[in-house]
Amino acid sequence: MSPIQTTPRPLVMLTVFFLTVGLWQTGEGSWMYAKARLAQMLLQRAWSRTLTGERLVKPWPWADTYPVAKLTVPSLQIDLIVLNGAYGRTLAFGPGYSESSAFPGSPGTTILTGHRDTHFYFLKRLKRQDEILIETDQRTSQRYLVQSSKVVDARTASIRLMEGEDQLVLVTCYPFDSILTGGPLRYLVTAIRVLSALPRSSDTPVGRESGARGELTPPT
Amino acid sequence: MTTLHEAAQRNAKPTRPVLLLTLLMVILLWVGSLPVALACGDPPSNESDLAERGMRLKDVTQGSLLFKTHETGRFTPAPLLKTDVKISISGVIARTTVAQEFVNPSRRKNAWAEGLYVFPLPETAAVDHLRMKVGERTIIGEIRERAEAKRTYEQAKQDGKRASLVEQERPNVFTVSVANIAPLDRIIIEIEYQETVRYDQQVYSLRFPMVVGPRYIPGTPVIIEGETQGSGWAANTDRVPDASRMTPPVQHPGLGPVNPVTLTIDLAAGFPLGKIASPYHDILTIADQDGRRHITLRQDRVPANRDFQLTWQPAGGPSPSAIAYLQQQSENSYGFLMVAPPASNESVSTPPREAIFVIDTSGSMAGTSIEQAKAALVLALGRLTSQDRFNVIQFNSATHLLFSEPQPVRTDTLGKAVRYVEQLHADGGTEILPALKMALKGSPPPSHLRQVIFLTDGQVGNEDELFAVIRTELGTSRLFTIGIGSAPNSHFMRKAAEFGRGTFTHIGSTSEVKAQMDAMFRRVERPVLTDIHIQGFEATAELFPSRIPDLYDGEPVVLAFKTSTIPSSITLTGTFNARTWTQTVDVAGASPRDGLSVYWARQKIASLMDQKRSERNDGSLRQSVLDVALAHHLVSPYTSLVAIDTEPIRPNDASLMTHAIKTDLPEGQDYQAIFGLPRTATNGPWHLLIGLIALAVAFWLWRPRDRFA
Repeated sequence: MSPIQTTPRPLVMLTVFFLTVGLWQTGEGSWMYAKARLAQMLLQRAWSRTLTGERLVKPWPWADTYPVAKLTVPSLQIDLIVLNGAYGRTLAFGPGYSESSAFPGSPGTTILTGHRDTHFYFLKRLKRQDEILIETDQRTSQRYLVQSSKVVDARTASIRLMEGEDQLVLVTCYPFDSILTGGPLRYLVTAIRVLSALPRSSDTPVGRESGARGELTPPT
Repeated sequence: MTTLHEAAQRNAKPTRPVLLLTLLMVILLWVGSLPVALACGDPPSNESDLAERGMRLKDVTQGSLLFKTHETGRFTPAPLLKTDVKISISGVIARTTVAQEFVNPSRRKNAWAEGLYVFPLPETAAVDHLRMKVGERTIIGEIRERAEAKRTYEQAKQDGKRASLVEQERPNVFTVSVANIAPLDRIIIEIEYQETVRYDQQVYSLRFPMVVGPRYIPGTPVIIEGETQGSGWAANTDRVPDASRMTPPVQHPGLGPVNPVTLTIDLAAGFPLGKIASPYHDILTIADQDGRRHITLRQDRVPANRDFQLTWQPAGGPSPSAIAYLQQQSENSYGFLMVAPPASNESVSTPPREAIFVIDTSGSMAGTSIEQAKAALVLALGRLTSQDRFNVIQFNSATHLLFSEPQPVRTDTLGKAVRYVEQLHADGGTEILPALKMALKGSPPPSHLRQVIFLTDGQVGNEDELFAVIRTELGTSRLFTIGIGSAPNSHFMRKAAEFGRGTFTHIGSTSEVKAQMDAMFRRVERPVLTDIHIQGFEATAELFPSRIPDLYDGEPVVLAFKTSTIPSSITLTGTFNARTWTQTVDVAGASPRDGLSVYWARQKIASLMDQKRSERNDGSLRQSVLDVALAHHLVSPYTSLVAIDTEPIRPNDASLMTHAIKTDLPEGQDYQAIFGLPRTATNGPWHLLIGLIALAVAFWLWRPRDRFA
């Protein structure tokens, strides 16, 4: 008998099996992150077309949603395109605007939802008084200041539609770094709209509803 | 010292158990990971919502939110509700008494309650009686103009008197308000209505809806200062100005059903009965000596979470081809006529069709509904022939077309359509309007009949807006609605088909798909009876419908009339398959019946409301509806029934809490897909974790070989 033992066939197969599964799963997992990134790139292009006056621009031919606003957080270098509709199939690509809340940039409560592990991971790092800018397709920009953040149980909590207060509510899953998905907790960040113009562009006219006009200097 | 061989053998031996063990582990991991993977993250629609029990952060997919919170009633339990339904069918007329028992379960002395319950009735129901039962006493409700009834009720509520009010929100959605229910006390509200049974393709049927499903509310929330909003979860919007009145809060299915229903039917069909069936509930049937049937639910009580339906057929032979009833009331006679044209068995060559299939893939369809709709649609695609053209449109928040233009039926187009339908899943809003416009748009070749087949649960609040589109944009198309699911919006199904000059069908379970779709195709493929006219009535007689619609195979002419002189007989004529059809009905010899005036009045109101939808001269039509409704004691959009007790009973210092009674979610619907906030995490990390574990295992398995080599 040869002292050299060939690896038993089942073992080879098992190894191949695990190898395949491993590559497949890591591929799948990475793809989700890649998709979230790639989509935002395409969305940026769709957004610039939206700003030129095109309506309901599809970021890719088979898309069933379109960009509605641009969300920037200068202090964290966050620059995201917000999609219409907060459904599973849109959230993979970007934060979604909940259609029944106030339209981004308009008076009332606007609700934006995003994935905690991709686009809205930054919510964790938002601090009180941080500035959030919402640019709309009307080329106007609204400025919001973070007021509070809290963790709620989605089974019991509800968001108050504040009357007469213009605010932005950002929603994501909680806790941020949990491996498991589908938990009941949600992390809400509330930001209140401020009417003052940007600190640096004091020359821009201040409108009651429209806020600062168009040419927002992007964070450098 | 062990030899290499021995070591190898020792090492090799365990491979089998290791193999089994790891395989088992892998399987477990997969199985275990499935629900988790589905529970958050990307699309799959039929996810189990166990993980999301009791979600209250209502979506957003449902038009205006949630976000009205009702502080009142938070600390005291809401009244409990039990419903007892008694239906008495005589011939083709049914009278139903719905007894709703409200119990205030609170033990606190000062916790008086007001209950508001939004509930459905059949869309043809003529609600004409309200009785409030307090202990041994019964207070009879009176009909009032709606605003006045509301004021009367509010006043009595303030005064501490027991009071109740029944208002109509839609032809099939009503609200009952009951004020001043004492702690541990009960008030029973009895609502009585009349309707006619449906007769179609030799089958009689009656539907009793039990729950108003969550409706999608399109539009922008509008809050008018000083105007009180209803108790629903939606805010009023510009497109559904009464949204808050027709969106009752929904009990999470995980917390169990809330409103139990008992139901009994007394069926006197007037002919020897054949098959009696209830497709969605188990029933017990007891036959009487005289041929009547007593029908009860096999279960004592059922949850109010789906429509009840009873169907019956005559035993052997066709049922009579004409039914006529008469009622004398002072100088007027009211009558009811149902004439069934003889069933045609002739096979005719059907003209080529352009079939546009529209399927609702909104969140309310998630669960069993979408499966039924998909099965029905695949079946329908299979019925197309090579001479036809077709297209498939799906809608949720957006509208998608399979082909930009209707395509001829070929292997490739049909194959593409079947694959397209099979991968559909339900999620998102119910924006019917653009889909409907898209479906009605387009002109087929003149040789083709254009048929729009619309599969939906109709769970929307903007019905009138949609009817207006159908009426103005129908063109030469015909619209056939197929109501999907356990509690579809039958008002939408019936009226949309009426304005669309087609017919409606219900599919309530997957097992029904084949039979109901076959029935629908019998209608769309067989010749239609057109140009129906009635001769013999005096000029002043009021007939409803005033113009008889085209009849599809198996449908009868149904007519309500009011006349001062009864004609001895009337003649119906029509054109069927290029031949003239004539039938004479003996009216003078019709059997006397009660309640026909109510039926006539209800038809008149329906007809006036249709006119109002088209003409918009609100004032005079409103007055006409008021006149009929008040004269015949009927609840209508402008009239309500109100019952007030005589003596105040609530002490001045006791507070009254208002509670909106929760309703069950229609069976088979997915709470998460309707009310859940979207899941805001991907399962990317999970996939990565599994992947890395698998890679590590693979690495570990591979290592021993190096040692032996």
